[in-house]
Amino acid sequence: MNNRPKVAFYWCASCGGCEEAVVDLAEKIIDVVSLVDIVFWPVAMDYKLSDVEALPDNSITVSFINGGIRLSEHEKVVRLLRQKSKLVVAYGACACWGGIPGLANQYSREEILERVYLTTPTTANPEKIMPPQDGYAKLGDVKIEVPTFLPELKPLDEVIDVDYYIPGCPPTPEVTWNAINVLLSGKLPDKGTVIGASNRSLCDECPLNKTKPENVLIKEFKRVVNYSPRADTCLLAQGLPCLGPVTRGGCGALCVKANMPCTGCFGPLENIHDYGGKALSFLASILDYENEEEIKREISKLPDVSGLIYKYTLPKSLLKNLLRSVRK
Amino acid sequence: MIQEPRVGVFICHCGHNIAAKVDVKQVADYAKTLPNVIVSHHYVFMCSTVGQELIREEIKKHNLNRVVVAACSPSMHEPTFRTAIESAGLNKYLLEMANIREHCSWAHSDKEAATEKAKDLVRMAVAKASLLEPLEEEEFPVSPTVLVLGGGVAGMRAAIDLAEWGFNVYLVEKNPTLGGRAALTGWLTNNRRGADVVNNLINKIVDNKNIHVFTNAELVEFSGFPGNFKAKIKVNPRFVNEKCILCGECEIECPIEVSNEYQYGLSRRKAIFFPFKAAYPPIYVIDQRVCIKCGECVKACQYGAINLAEQSLTLDLNVGAIVIATGYDPYHPPKGEYAYGLHNNIITLFQLERLLDEDGPTQGKLIIGGAVPKRIAFILCVGSRNTTPSSKNYCSRMCCTSTLINAIKIKEKYPDIDVYVLYQDINTYGNDETLYEQAGEKLVKFIKFEKPPTVDISPEGIVIDVYETTIQEEISIPVDALVLSVGMVPRRDQNELIATTRASCGEDGFIREVHLKLNPVEAPTHGIFLAGAVTGPKNIIESIRAGSAAASKVATLLSEGKVRTEPFTANVNEERCSGCRICVGLCPYKAISLREINDRMVAYVERALCMGCGTCSAACPSGAMQQYGFKDIQIMAQVVAATGGGIK
Repeated sequence: MNNRPKVAFYWCASCGGCEEAVVDLAEKIIDVVSLVDIVFWPVAMDYKLSDVEALPDNSITVSFINGGIRLSEHEKVVRLLRQKSKLVVAYGACACWGGIPGLANQYSREEILERVYLTTPTTANPEKIMPPQDGYAKLGDVKIEVPTFLPELKPLDEVIDVDYYIPGCPPTPEVTWNAINVLLSGKLPDKGTVIGASNRSLCDECPLNKTKPENVLIKEFKRVVNYSPRADTCLLAQGLPCLGPVTRGGCGALCVKANMPCTGCFGPLENIHDYGGKALSFLASILDYENEEEIKREISKLPDVSGLIYKYTLPKSLLKNLLRSVRK
Repeated sequence: MIQEPRVGVFICHCGHNIAAKVDVKQVADYAKTLPNVIVSHHYVFMCSTVGQELIREEIKKHNLNRVVVAACSPSMHEPTFRTAIESAGLNKYLLEMANIREHCSWAHSDKEAATEKAKDLVRMAVAKASLLEPLEEEEFPVSPTVLVLGGGVAGMRAAIDLAEWGFNVYLVEKNPTLGGRAALTGWLTNNRRGADVVNNLINKIVDNKNIHVFTNAELVEFSGFPGNFKAKIKVNPRFVNEKCILCGECEIECPIEVSNEYQYGLSRRKAIFFPFKAAYPPIYVIDQRVCIKCGECVKACQYGAINLAEQSLTLDLNVGAIVIATGYDPYHPPKGEYAYGLHNNIITLFQLERLLDEDGPTQGKLIIGGAVPKRIAFILCVGSRNTTPSSKNYCSRMCCTSTLINAIKIKEKYPDIDVYVLYQDINTYGNDETLYEQAGEKLVKFIKFEKPPTVDISPEGIVIDVYETTIQEEISIPVDALVLSVGMVPRRDQNELIATTRASCGEDGFIREVHLKLNPVEAPTHGIFLAGAVTGPKNIIESIRAGSAAASKVATLLSEGKVRTEPFTANVNEERCSGCRICVGLCPYKAISLREINDRMVAYVERALCMGCGTCSAACPSGAMQQYGFKDIQIMAQVVAATGGGIK
């Protein structure tokens, strides 16, 4: 064995995009691989959980974990990785705040299972077979252990201690590379820091910010499904609910450059207690009406407001306790 | 950096005000258990000299660096306790108050629950106090110049008082003459007329070198901050200059005739006209809305006083303060309300005052519809006190008194006329109560109603049907003339003024004072003061008083030569700010703009303009805008303390 830093990658409740994002480092992945020893990466390399269990505690330099915690298996593996790692990094929006799978926290476990296994239009399950919730499945005569579906999705730091956060859905190669450099630099930032991204909101790096009028006021929200934005004017000023002002920068305004409004995947800046609350507050405040009823009317025209403002952060929001009590 | 917090908690009994409903000893004991609390006391009157001394001694003895006083509302005694801790060597903004009187003991009857709530409030205050930072006030020099908007009695009085104190005053009036509505008011008590009061004030203004009068002028732009406002005044052309000797030749030749607003439409005037006998400046004026520039007046004027090519001019003023005294409009009944507009002999109280005034269109003779009426009635509360669907809900204060003055005047001049006063209640408050007795002695007939009377127009004339509640009978009164005692409403053009000055109006539509008892005549924007009926119905005496009150408030602000601003202003973390501009348009005080720092556009707060409303800090999507004294972390600490840590 050599003295190169040991690195682990793991995925929980995620789409796999974060794994792709690591591969998207392209040639730089070779630099990474030459600098470190990868000791665990289920999606790409053939290591078993027992290999990790065999490692001494704190022997992994850094574990990059993506996805939220939704299954008992996720809980088990991330606890193990925490035990074996000096540093744990929440990689991507889902690990940081729950991400899109976190929107399911609006529903109870039973509602979700029923929807997925019984009532979606594309489901054919005449025998009404449901995943077992006792942790075991029968395969013929053999009883095998299977993961159980937890009551809610939790961001990584609600299950284990997290040292750093890399935002994005997924994090861009630049952000990932910046973060890796920070970690390899030896000068580690304060625990809890978001690394690799900007410390300002997206507008700061958005090429359209200079086209925004000083007084941003709109009469109605537009949607990309029925409105083609002009490429030369701030999307917010055009009426699209672009979440750039409330979202951490660092992505280089990729979506805006493709004429799509920011949906907030880089999450909130430091000390923002509730991303969605901030988003709603600024969206409501730029509606050019004096009357609260008119503002309500315009906001309510947006389909799925919670999906808009909490797209990536619902499990971390101030609503989480409320949602817990509603689900009960 | 913030020092390790050492908090002292001081619980006030406020005599029995707090102690009767809150177990203050229990709260004091509880406070000792809270994080960072070094010492906790309770005392009968914390605001007393002894109480303040206790706070000072404890600060020194225990080296306290934060103080929580749990007592009354901060608007009551916060300044007291700030001064106390300052004299003990602490920055005076290291004080946090918990309002356990108005928010607790006064509001609740269950002692046990109130004590628990007081503990909650103290716990929240301690949590915030631990995060307080020392803050510094900022000082700015002031301009010793005052802009007074409105040349009615309130504005003139304010201008005179200020000029006598030595301030430079710009008195700006929208109409071509000073005097306002008081000049048209007619008879007051003691046989004086509104015009007499106005003349008296005008004479004082003419004599005073410190007052610069601009009539036909209006405020078009207003910005800046208390002590240093910038005001742009547009002076509309008068087309007649001071060579005018009021000979009136021009008026004879002028072909344009319109209704005369200075007689409330009872007579007509020309396009070139002189508003009324005592108008100031004593110069004719051309109404540019109706003048066709035919030049007949120029030919008629022997003195070369008329110049039809005169242009408007603008003045840029730097003023320390502004007094808004732009007055009111009379309530205008919709057509058909009490048959108004359906019969020529149905007039308003304002019109009657013109008829009875010797300078009025009939030289004081009561001629309505070509004849002196034999029977005349007044209906009170027209437009006020919810009497009709379009009425306001407030009482207009002056109409009862004014009605009785004029009813008595009619009886004095024409003892044979039957005068009826139909009323809900007679509110001749104060010394004017004697008018009610006098009217009775003069045999004015009072008819009390609960349900507003109905007025019908028949071939014989005007008939009023009313249920008289004292005799409990339906009665029918035929009259020759009917006077509607209309109240006062906000000016029609008030919204323009609000847009320009950022004043705001209350539920009644009049411009709002910050607090009727704690901050009278002050607008929410510091440095803007309000006088007269612009804040709601007032009689002439009350308006003049308000003018004097506003003047003394202005003097308080400007006499020191500098203004100090409260430090609770918004502050931009320029490193964090992304220049997203959300805050800029939201600021109600126009205190935020963008400026370039290191090639980046970031928000900039003009501290002197910021009133600390918190709108920008709440809206800032990135948390870059924080308000001193109310930072997110400070407020969140309170919220977390309130919920027992349930929210994080």
